[in-house]
Amino acid sequence: MKKIIIVVIILISLSALILASCVPGSRQEPAKGWAGPAADNGIVYVGTVQGSIVAVNSSTRNLEWSYAITTTAPSSFLSCGQGSTSTTIYSTPVVDGDLVYVASYSGRVLALSSVAREEGLEFPQKRYGEWQWDCPSEGKESNAIVADLVISGDAIFLCSSNGRVYSLDKEFGDLNWESQKLTEKLWTAPAIQGDTVYVTTYDNKIQTLSVNNGDLLSWTYESESGFASQPEIYEDIVLIGSFDKNMYAIKIGDVEPLWSFLGENWFWSAPVAYEGIIYAGCLDNQVYAIEASTGKKLWQFDTGSPVVSSPVLMDNLLIVANESGDVYVFDVSNRLVKTEVVPLKTISIETTVLGPLSVSGNMVYIRAQNNSLYALDIERGGLDWKLPLTVEE
Amino acid sequence: MSGVWNLIILNPVLNSLIALSTLLYDSFGLAIIFLTIVVRLAMWPLTKRQLNSTKAMQEMQPKIQEIQKKYGKNKQKLQEETMKLYKEAGINPMGCIWPMLIQFPIWIALYQSIMKALATTPENLLSLSQHLYSWQMVNEAIPLSSQFLWLNLGQPDQTMILALIVGGTMWVQQKMTTAPSMDPKQQSTSQMMTLMMPLMFGMFTLMFPSGLAIFWAASNIIGIVTQYFVTGGWGYLKWQNPLRPKETGQK
Repeated sequence: MKKIIIVVIILISLSALILASCVPGSRQEPAKGWAGPAADNGIVYVGTVQGSIVAVNSSTRNLEWSYAITTTAPSSFLSCGQGSTSTTIYSTPVVDGDLVYVASYSGRVLALSSVAREEGLEFPQKRYGEWQWDCPSEGKESNAIVADLVISGDAIFLCSSNGRVYSLDKEFGDLNWESQKLTEKLWTAPAIQGDTVYVTTYDNKIQTLSVNNGDLLSWTYESESGFASQPEIYEDIVLIGSFDKNMYAIKIGDVEPLWSFLGENWFWSAPVAYEGIIYAGCLDNQVYAIEASTGKKLWQFDTGSPVVSSPVLMDNLLIVANESGDVYVFDVSNRLVKTEVVPLKTISIETTVLGPLSVSGNMVYIRAQNNSLYALDIERGGLDWKLPLTVEE
Repeated sequence: MSGVWNLIILNPVLNSLIALSTLLYDSFGLAIIFLTIVVRLAMWPLTKRQLNSTKAMQEMQPKIQEIQKKYGKNKQKLQEETMKLYKEAGINPMGCIWPMLIQFPIWIALYQSIMKALATTPENLLSLSQHLYSWQMVNEAIPLSSQFLWLNLGQPDQTMILALIVGGTMWVQQKMTTAPSMDPKQQSTSQMMTLMMPLMFGMFTLMFPSGLAIFWAASNIIGIVTQYFVTGGWGYLKWQNPLRPKETGQK
């Protein structure tokens, strides 16, 4: 009997271990982030898996500076009080003059000065225009920032996991306005056109807010399913991917979609539009070319694995990366309906790509999930260099 | 291997759970409780067999102790005689273990489904896309709301309320099924087990997402209810008034 009891106790302990970690997929994947790079004036700024922002010289591949965004870890069961810990970065840095703006999963927005960071001065150096702002949260709600920051005029716009939209003063980091709670959480970036902020929610809505004060505007679009992607505005059409596997084109002000295009999985990333054609990557492994005015499919290409990152344009070249790290280059200079599409070039970096791509000149920069920065020479059709982003603090 | 697991076990459970939440007023908490009821009912034959085997083993303990006394020094003979005894009584000594092992994959699939469906990080939400069926009610339910009563189902409950419910219900369930033993050694071991298991699961509740703890609590409560009605009454659980003196047998 004693042996049986011991076996039972061992089984219970083992089952707890299995539940906790051993079986693939049994635990929640930790937040790792998928911040994309931003290239400006020969420097590539990117968030690392460890929660640092690094500036890499694209010519010399030297690390110009790095800054680790830390956060205060809350005390929890079996932990000994609060402590400082690194954070995760999903938001792609935005460069504006000498300042690099970035948001973290811990709910912090920072304006980093390249000059101050190169000199290794303590953050924030107000004389160099540096500031930080912490997103508020009520009770148990999360203040994590997953979506990219959007700069328009003198303001920065951001969506928070607390379900609100914020506008900050770009120069000083002061809060311009905070919207009312729109939904349980907002993980997609807003789109700005004119005086309107367009926000898509997981609870089936496109909400419009005033750029000036964050007040809700009259036009709201409601769907049967939540929206997976951030909105992309092309002329007077809002393009958006839904959890019902459709890409919707909604004319601003309308209550019915102009058209919808059904994929075999979610359109997770925002599409790009070029000369009347929408190019959309889908988690069903395909890239679709869709006529913007009608929603008619012109062609599709099977990349072999889900397309998580948004496609990007380089002149008349369309560049698409799939999750497996295959980068396809298409010539989109003519708009013919094609039954068979052959990419101009294919470059494989053989590692997982989830974050957005950045185009600068004839180069495409990718921060892959293996925490390395890849520079692809599209003209040559190959990998130019690769740099691991592990920074010794 | 993980592909087969996902196809046969994980994906059906996950999609059922999400579809159920649509039917149950968009409440993922209610969906967990409902699916736990369904799974517990479906596994009742196995659970009953497990209970019967455990009970029979406990009833045989005096005879086994006799054999142990008789053949204590001859291990081979002791084993032979014990097996003979089991055979005569028609008991498989592993009978109480196998039903439990068979249930494990189901529990693990339920656990994985809860964790996947809640998608508390952007990575989890993205990976969820590869597990969903093309059912309209599934697509319309995504992403699920993690709020249920006072709980965030994706986070551990730090209020201790759920830990007390899980631990308390598990203790009651165990007390109902654990027969008192004449052997003081065995009695103390089973008492320790009855206390250790609820304590362990109470502690797990403080460490794991509360969606999983809801599943444990629901599973325990269903276990108590089914045992009450099927095996008749509260079993070996005896309510003792601490103010009432124990009967000594002397008048």
